[in-house]
Order: sequence, then C-alpha cells, then structure tokens
Amino acid sequence: MSTTDQRDSRTVLTGIVGDSLQPIARNIPTDEPPELPPNAELRVIGKPVNRVDAIPKVTGKARYTYDVQLPGMLYGRIVSSTVPHARIKSIDTSAAEAYPGVKAVHILDRILSIAQLRDASAEANERYPLVRYNGQPIAAVAATSMRAAKAAAKLVRIEYERLPHVTNLEAAMRDDAPVVFPGPVEQAATAGGGGAPPGLPQKGNLRGPARGGLGGGGRGDVQQGFAQADHVLSREYRTQVQTHTPMETHGLVADWRDDELTLYASTQFTLSVRDEAAQLFQLPKEKVRVISEFTGGGFGAKFGIGNYGALAIHLSRKARAPVRVVLDRREEHASVGNRPSSLQRVKLGAKSDGTVTALQVESFGTGGVAAGAGVGFCHTAMYPFPNVSTEHYDVFIDAGPSAAFRAPGQVQGIFALEQVLDEMAHELGMDPLALREKIDTNDVDDARARKVERRIGAERAGWSRRRPPAADSGPVKRGIGVAQSQWAYIVHGTMTCEVRIRGDGSVIALTSAQDIGTGTRTVMAQTVAEELGLRAEDVDTRIGDSRYPAGPASGGSRVTSSITPAARNATYLAARDLAARVAPSLGAKPDEILFQDGRVFARGRPDRGMTFVEACKKASFDEIVQRADRREDYDGYRAKLGDLHISRHGIGGVQFAEVAVDTETGVVKVERIVAVHDCGRPINPKLIESQIYGGVIQGVSYALYEERHLDPGTGLQLNANIDQYKIVGSREVPKIEVHVIEQLGRQSSTDARGVAEPANVATAAAVANAFFNATGKRIRTLPMNPANVLAALRADGGRS
Amino acid sequence: MSTLQWIDAKSVDEAVALLSADAHGTIAKAGGMDLLDLIKEGIVAPTRIVNLQHIDALRGVQFAQATGLRLGALTTLAEIAGNSSIRERYPALAEAAAHAATPQIRNAATIGGNLLQRPRCWYFRNELFHAARQEVGREQAQYGAIFDNSKTTMVHASTPATALLAYGASVHVAGKSGKARAIALSDFLLPPDFNRPRDTALANDEVLTHVSLPAIGANTRAAYHKQTERDSYDWPICDVAVVLTLANGKVEAAKIVAGAVAPVPRRLTASEKALVGREIDESVAAEAARAAVRGATPTEKNSYKVPILETVIRRTILAAMA
Amino acid sequence: MMELSLTVNGRPFAVHVDPATTLVEVLRDELGLTGTKIGCDRGACSACTVWLDGEVVASCMTFALDARGKQITTIEGLAKDEQLHPVQQAFVDHDALQCGFCTPGMVMSCAHLVERNPACTLDDVRGAVSGHLCRCGAYPNIFKATLAAAAAMRQRKSGGGT
Repeated sequence: MSTTDQRDSRTVLTGIVGDSLQPIARNIPTDEPPELPPNAELRVIGKPVNRVDAIPKVTGKARYTYDVQLPGMLYGRIVSSTVPHARIKSIDTSAAEAYPGVKAVHILDRILSIAQLRDASAEANERYPLVRYNGQPIAAVAATSMRAAKAAAKLVRIEYERLPHVTNLEAAMRDDAPVVFPGPVEQAATAGGGGAPPGLPQKGNLRGPARGGLGGGGRGDVQQGFAQADHVLSREYRTQVQTHTPMETHGLVADWRDDELTLYASTQFTLSVRDEAAQLFQLPKEKVRVISEFTGGGFGAKFGIGNYGALAIHLSRKARAPVRVVLDRREEHASVGNRPSSLQRVKLGAKSDGTVTALQVESFGTGGVAAGAGVGFCHTAMYPFPNVSTEHYDVFIDAGPSAAFRAPGQVQGIFALEQVLDEMAHELGMDPLALREKIDTNDVDDARARKVERRIGAERAGWSRRRPPAADSGPVKRGIGVAQSQWAYIVHGTMTCEVRIRGDGSVIALTSAQDIGTGTRTVMAQTVAEELGLRAEDVDTRIGDSRYPAGPASGGSRVTSSITPAARNATYLAARDLAARVAPSLGAKPDEILFQDGRVFARGRPDRGMTFVEACKKASFDEIVQRADRREDYDGYRAKLGDLHISRHGIGGVQFAEVAVDTETGVVKVERIVAVHDCGRPINPKLIESQIYGGVIQGVSYALYEERHLDPGTGLQLNANIDQYKIVGSREVPKIEVHVIEQLGRQSSTDARGVAEPANVATAAAVANAFFNATGKRIRTLPMNPANVLAALRADGGRS
Repeated sequence: MSTLQWIDAKSVDEAVALLSADAHGTIAKAGGMDLLDLIKEGIVAPTRIVNLQHIDALRGVQFAQATGLRLGALTTLAEIAGNSSIRERYPALAEAAAHAATPQIRNAATIGGNLLQRPRCWYFRNELFHAARQEVGREQAQYGAIFDNSKTTMVHASTPATALLAYGASVHVAGKSGKARAIALSDFLLPPDFNRPRDTALANDEVLTHVSLPAIGANTRAAYHKQTERDSYDWPICDVAVVLTLANGKVEAAKIVAGAVAPVPRRLTASEKALVGREIDESVAAEAARAAVRGATPTEKNSYKVPILETVIRRTILAAMA
Repeated sequence: MMELSLTVNGRPFAVHVDPATTLVEVLRDELGLTGTKIGCDRGACSACTVWLDGEVVASCMTFALDARGKQITTIEGLAKDEQLHPVQQAFVDHDALQCGFCTPGMVMSCAHLVERNPACTLDDVRGAVSGHLCRCGAYPNIFKATLAAAAAMRQRKSGGGT
C-alpha cells in the first residue's frame, strides 16, 4: 500500500482534448503511476466496452436482494400507520402472533430516516414513537409465507389518539398551522448526501434560514447590486415532490446468527448498511457482513438500513431465521424518500450588457418529516455574481421523509436559476447563450467545460435556427431552449482497491462498492485491463461485499472518480511486481516490460514476448496481491464532509431541448434533447451515454409528469402506484443526442469524474426555456402537465 | 387462513347457479384483471371465484353485414383491436381497445370484464376509504367528472364503453333458469358508487354473455380519441367517440360520446344536434364541440378538462371525416 | 389450496397453491425462477412479463390457475442451450440496461416483437414496451437493440449473413 507523502513536480498536459491542452506543472505524490495519455492513445479506457455484467442481467440470473432465497427464510410484512399524525395509545399483536405460520412480531421503538428532535426529552416518555405521516412503519410480522405475513399484519390492532395534521406546504407555513414537531430538529446527512445544516432556528414548521451551502454562503451586498442594475426581475418558481421509484423497491434480507449478522441489501452503499446496523444493534462492524450483488436502482434513496431493514434484523433475531423484508410499491412511494418540493422567490439584477449585479433567492421546500429541502449550491457556485444572497427554509408537513435524489437540491435550484437567466436574456434582448458566455467565467474546470459544450451543443442543436418566441401560428407550437448544468466533483474519502494476479494468469479486482446500474464492475475492469494489456472481460471483478476493501458510495456521482484511480494504482503495483518476475526470462530490465494486447514483452521487442498467461506461468508464483488507495486529488479539496470530498472544480454540462406544446390540450412533448457533457476522462463512452440518457429521461419525467398527490384529509399518498404516479414511458422518450468531451483535469491517476447527476440537473430548465420559445409564455410551475400548462398559457403575458 | 375456493364453470347455467347460491361471497372471473387488483387492494375478499374462462359459449367474435357484431364476453381487448372486421367496420371500437391499458393487459383483459370494472378513482382504489363507505376528497378529483358530478366525481373506467355507446351497443346477460336479457349499454352502466358491489345493472346472479353492436351503414364515418398526458400507457383526461352517418355529404345522424367526464360515458346530444343536416368543416365542428361543454360543472382542480374536452370533440369529429 | 400443473420452459411442474396466487408468485416462490420480477404488482410496469402460449402477459395479474394447460416461457427459458436469444445479445451489445431489474420483462416483450415481426419499426418497438417502466431510462438503447436484433433475425431468415 502506498503511503508516502513525497511529491514531485511533473509536467502534465491539462485541458480539453480537441480544444486545447496545455502543459502545466503539478505536484503529484511520487508513487502515483505515470499520467495516462488522452483516450485516443489507450486501448481499453475510453472505449465503448460492453458492460461486463450484462449477461446475467439479460438472462434473469442476476440475483437482486429481492431474489435472495435462503433455507428457512421467512417473509416480513410491515404494519404502517393509517393516519398522518397521532400518538399510539396501544398496539395489540396477539392475533397476529397467533396466526398460522407467524414466527415473530416486532414493534419499532425508534424511527430512522426522519428528522430527530434536538431535545429528545420532549418525547422521551412516549410509549411508542409518534406517528408523523400516513405510512410510517410501526411494526412488522415474519411468517413462513408472504400470504401469511400479509394476513397476520392486518390483524395487528393499533389504537391512535389523532393529532392535528398538515400536508400542504403553504398551509404548514401559516402561524396557526398544526405543528409537526414539538421543537427544533436536526437531520444528519446520509452517505448519499442530503441532511440539513445543524443548529438552525425553528419556528412552528419552519426551520431556517439556511444560508449558502456548498457554495460557501452569500457574498457582497444584494441591495447595492440591485441598485446598480438596469433590469431587475422578481419571479416565483415551484417544483413538486418527486419520488425515486426504483424498479427494485427497498429491501433487506437479514440473517442473524450468534456469531455473525449477514445482510443482503438493495443498497447504494454496502458500508452504510454495515455501519448503521452495527450501531443500531451494538455489534462490532466486523460481525456484520453486507452483500449486494445487484441493486435494482436507487437514485439516492438507498442508504443505510432504513426502518424496513431494522425490522428485518429484529425479526430475524427474534425468529432465529433469515427474514426478507421487501417493500411493496405503495410503501416505497410513501416511506423511503422523495425529492422535496420547492417554492423559490428569485430576484435577479443585471445591467443592459448582461452583467449580473445581484441574485437573491428565498426558498421554501418540504421534505415531509425530514429536513434538508434546500435548492442546491448553484447560486453561489456556478457564476461569479458579485452579490448573492440565499435564504432557505425547510417546511415540515405530515408526509414521508425526503432523501437525497439525483443531484439533491441542485435540480430544483437550477430549474429556477437557469430559467430566470433565460428570462433576463429575453428582457435584455440577448441570446441566452451569449448571456451565459458573459457570466460563466469562474476559473474552474466546469466553467471551462461548459464553454466548449455551449459551442458544440449550439451547433448540434441548430441553435442558429432558433426563432422568436411563439413563431408557430397553429395550435401546436415548437421551440428550443437551453440550460446549463453544474454538479460537484466528488471523491469518496476511503477507497481501496485490491488486485490479484494469479499464477494461472487470471486477474481479480475487489472492492466493497456496489452497482446500482452505473457500471461499477465495468469501469473497474477496464482500468485494470488497461494497465495489464488485457480486455475488460479478462478481469474478474468482485464487488458488493463489505468484506472486500472499502469502496465508495454510489451517490454524489463518485463511483468512477473514486474507484478507477485506486484500481489503477493497485494494478500498477501488481504489474510492476509481475514485470520484475518476468523480466529475466525476457532478458530485459523490469521497467522495460510492457503489457499490451494480452502480451508481455520488452520495449522495442514485441516479437520476443509471450502471452500474459504464459508470462504468469513462467514467472511461477502463486499470487501477486496489491492494494492501493485512491489518493486525494493532487490539488486537494474545497471541503471534506466525512467521506464526501468535494473538489473546487465542478462538473458541467449543457442541454438543449426542443419541445412541441399543444396549446389546446396542454400536452407538452419533448421531441429532442442535445446533451453535451463532461466527466473528466470518459472511462466508458457506452456507459456514459447510458447514464446521460437516464439523466435526461428522468429530467423530462420530472419536468412533465411526476407529482406526488396527498389526500389532505388523511395524508395518504393517493397515487402510490406506477400508473397514476406518472413517469416517462417508451413513447415519451425524446430523441436524445449525447456528446461527451474529454477533459483532463490531472487530479488523479485516471482523471475520471462522474456524470450520473450532472445529466439530470439541467433538463427541466431547458424544457421550460423551450416552452417559452415555443409559446411566448413562461411556465414556472412543475410538472408541465395539462392543468399547469393551460393555466400558464392563460396567464397574462410572460410575467405572472 | 384464506378459504378461497375456485370453481371452473363449464357452462353459463352452472356459473349462474353458483352465483345464485351465494350472491355475496362469490365472484365471477373472466380475465381477472380488475378482480386481482381489487383483491390485492383489499377492496373485495371473495370466498369463491367462479372461473368463466372455460365456457366456450362466452367466446368468439361474429360479424355479419346485416346483423352487426357480436362479441363474446371473453373476447380480449387485443382480439378486438386486431380483428380485421372490427377495424374496418367499427374503427372507433378497435381504436378504443387498442389504447386501453398495456399490451400485456390487453392480451388478458376481456370486454366483459372491462365493462364491469370498478372506477380507477384513487379514493375508491384504497381500502382505507372503504371503511367510511363513501367517496371523499372531492377537491382532489383532477381526473374526475366535470358533468353530473353533484353526487360523485368518480368516472366509469371503461374506455371501450365510450366507443360501444357511440355504436349503440347492447349488453346481454344470462340469469337464473336460462333467463336472458338484453340491456342497452346506456342503461347498463351506472354511476360508480362505493356502496354498491358493481357499477352496472348486472344482478348478483347474472353473467354477462356477450355484447352486440347493430349493423353499420355504408355511409358511416367514425373516429375515437383518448386524450392522455402520456401516450405510452395512461388513464384518460377524456375520450371521445364519434359515429356519423352521411347522406349527400351532409350529416344525417350523429352519435358522439365522451368518457371520463361524467360518472358514466356521456352522450353529447347538443353536439350531435349541431351537426345533423350540415356539412362538416372546421367551424361546424368547433360549434358542435362548444355546445358540448356548455353547462359543465368542473371542480377547482379539474376545470382544465373542459377546454381539453372541447378540443378533443372538435378534433375527433374532423378525424371522422378525414 | 389447489393442486396445479404448469408447463414452464417446456418442463412440467406440480405445485399446491391458494387459488388467489398469481403466476409470478408461483414462478418465483415455488419454482425459484426469480428472473421474472415484480415491480408494481398491478400490471402497470410489466417487469413481470412472461409468455403464455407465446403471448406476452403480466404474470402479476395472472391467476396461476389461469396458466393451466398453457406453455409458459420465462426469461430463464429464452436462451437456448446457453445461446443467447438475438434480443438478449443485442441488449448486451447496445447497453440496453442499467440496473437490470426491468430487463427480463423488457427482453421478453422485445423478443416477442422481433419473433412476430422481424420487420418492426421504431414505433413498433415503442409500442411493444409501452407498458414497461425502466426507471434508469435505458429506452434509447432498448430501441436500438431491438431494431438491431430484428435486423439480425431478418438476415438469418433470408438465409443471408456470414
């Protein structure tokens, strides 16, 4: 393992390939491998390699948590609240316990994932945790069949003392609103992000104001800024609650044994499951093993064990048998996370030449019974506006807790910010791209990337064909819009990869990280293969087991940025080790040995080489094992929040949307998206394209369709299903054209960065701006469904 | 423990006898789509299922130019959508069937079951609200009725019904001792109601055997449109079926029906009147559409449906003529 | 409980089930064929798609008893002798999946389409998967893969290819 702090100054080429690469001097730890050349000169990295675990997925052999079947396994069914706010007077489980096939019943004594009272004593004398939303888990039953578990769960009798409730953001903000929490609360971040700044004031259901965020808080004096402006726009934007809706619902199989607790988890972070289980059940971490072979999507909501997981473990301990708890679709919608809503009051001041003088944002958002409903860091971090002020309030309502969701906060914030900039461009008579060109000038990689992306995107999208607003005379109006993306470039702080080269020439790479569909195995295999001159499929990647060397969370778009440098570093060490063993038989020095195209040879003498397998056999060793860490970024970080290490540089992206608005039915169709993105060095263009497709499609879905509907009387989610909670389907998918630039930031041994979240950030704003170009009217409320669209079209001018 | 019993009925008479013997706990099953949904949601809990799938008399599509169309109750929506006679002669019905649900569901869902399905109202579909035995949350009815909605905002869920009504379809049912009756579909469908076991005129001990549509004249033009937020698979904001009989280029008779805008699919007689005796052009179609939405009584959340309905009526009339 | 005989992927199975049991429950819980997934359990996401006598159905909305006497084909029965179905291979080649959870159902619908209609168009593919939900958003590649598989099947049927 490499631990030296020695550094030497190396001259490296940095910049955007095909645009400009400049040599700069950078201090790099001495034992880091040599810099990789641009992708064009590589064999595996940067190539559209097939996903290495695609075959089990297309044949049904991939085993998800939901598919785990263990001998003697019981089925768990949760009993949830049917009221939005109440004190539980009594719980009678006797009938459930007596039901044939039932092996255990457990009542929760604390609720995870929701905001916690700063002063726990306020409710310390409660017999059961208070109910604060309809669908809050209360207890669970384990039985020999799901049918029996469901039947028994219905027999659990709960007597409630109803308390006044509130399920609407604006109603909750009123002074006389029923109060969700009796006192101030706190919400720690999960490994996937989220959480809320600690110690903020709280009055009624309003917690805040929070100022700043990753952007480092406000700056300057906005009043002075507005005084300098020639034009000031004040606008209000609203975004809805969106639920994650992964295809595999949350679930956990717990197998409690005296000597070890084994958890099969549908998770975005195996180690968060281990750590939370160890903490909650007071077990040493090494006694908890977490296995996650495949995870059926997460999008930010699958961290830790959750209430369902805690219940599975309790039931397994009680029943002395493995217990599987997998949520049904209703429970998934209601209880395990969502993207908070937002109400954003945005004021923007600019001079006639486009110079922005001030930005002021006051925002409110509800994450139900969770805190952390902010609107991102774009306001301070994206553009160097001299005067910025942001104030955010969380508003509590009696609804399921929010969770990190693909670019948490930033999606909401950018929807408003990139639209108000479009509105200002129109006000100034400026091309929206020209306005961005003027203001997007931070000295960071994401701004440099966006500059190139604007140019490429404008060309591909046919921006020069853009017509004035409302140019079509018929009822269906078409238009084009643009919006910019920004997300943080994040690295996981604790990241180790182990690489084993066996005597038979087989290669194994291990990390505890999981795969939620982004291609963890594939990017790791490519990195290892590149270094050893092999093909990605020659590398046996083993992931999703907490016993493997610590890997990253699949959250914050940090898997590839974290894993690939560690994998390369470990492979580099292993390759040097192998080279030393092989060199004598090739009559060469170790540092002359090259690995290429499955062969091993001395530099300049490829004819005298041998295959990789022959080389391993000839060197006659049992196994070469090397571990290496992901070194910190060569230039360090802007912030370290636990394992979340955040670069000064961000990730950019620019998206262009073409829409058709049927002004008579209010139906909006997104016909085309041109998505131009950066992710440092692209490791696998095929998988990156998939990620960007996914981000764009989720963005379109958010922009046009998705919305959680709560019944005001009961707090029940009315559309907690797949048909009435509306999501993009096959016929709503636009034509999507992806272009990815290659940006070498020279901060790690692979230069890789993430793209999953950046791809989801700008879409809704681009669609909204295209809507304006199509209709001449602004739509500032999401989703752009017929009801909201017809209301926006009826509105007076573009200003209401 | 569940004591659910399953019986494969061999004949209509046997099914009727089984239903008569236990009118409350026994439910007849065709494709089983809605039944399974209602069981899973905890809204019905039958003790006995009478499976109709093995009764050959309930199968088959028969078309004769002179007598019209007969659809056995077990005819699937996919069969209707794909049947060449129906596509040619009753295109509005074929379109309606083709746009219902998903390909998977259309392969299994029957026309009988489709007409008998319960409303998709999100209050109705949650057992929590059945304890109160009444519809609640009228203000949340963004997909609900904009006409005749003083008692309920729930709308009948069948979209093929909209087309069937425009073609003047009748429903045929068999009861005890071989008693069969035919009921006009317009009389058969009843406003959805939490307090009734079904939203049709079917009695507890009756089996829906087939649906009949009268013959279609040579000068008939028809069109159907289901307006949704999404094209992939969605419930309607509204759907409209138009069946016009022409003579010398003018409308001799018109039948226009809109679904999902009233508790039962609504015959738009004002629109029909506006067309009869006239040659159809944009302005005539627009006039007819306008006539239909006069008197709408939307709620605050579903008033957006009114202009959409007007648009869809106008467009569907024009589509019928295209 | 009722005795039930099913033919799954050409093999006969006998199970005892409650009559309310759905086909997908039998496949997964009784027969261990966990390739078929439940996404919504209401026929709205089609992750549970199998073939019943060669037609696509939602196995979560199919009473197991209604599958008696029919040929049931699941994702496990699609590849013949370890040889991937052309649609499966095309899904691999075109990265038509991400998390993979909706994939077995998608593959069953797309394979059904190309076997029925090797001349299928993009609109046909969109229609064939119109009842499916892929939350990861793999659709563009699902379309490409299915059209590529159809082209491969056309070539094979016309005796072409190399």
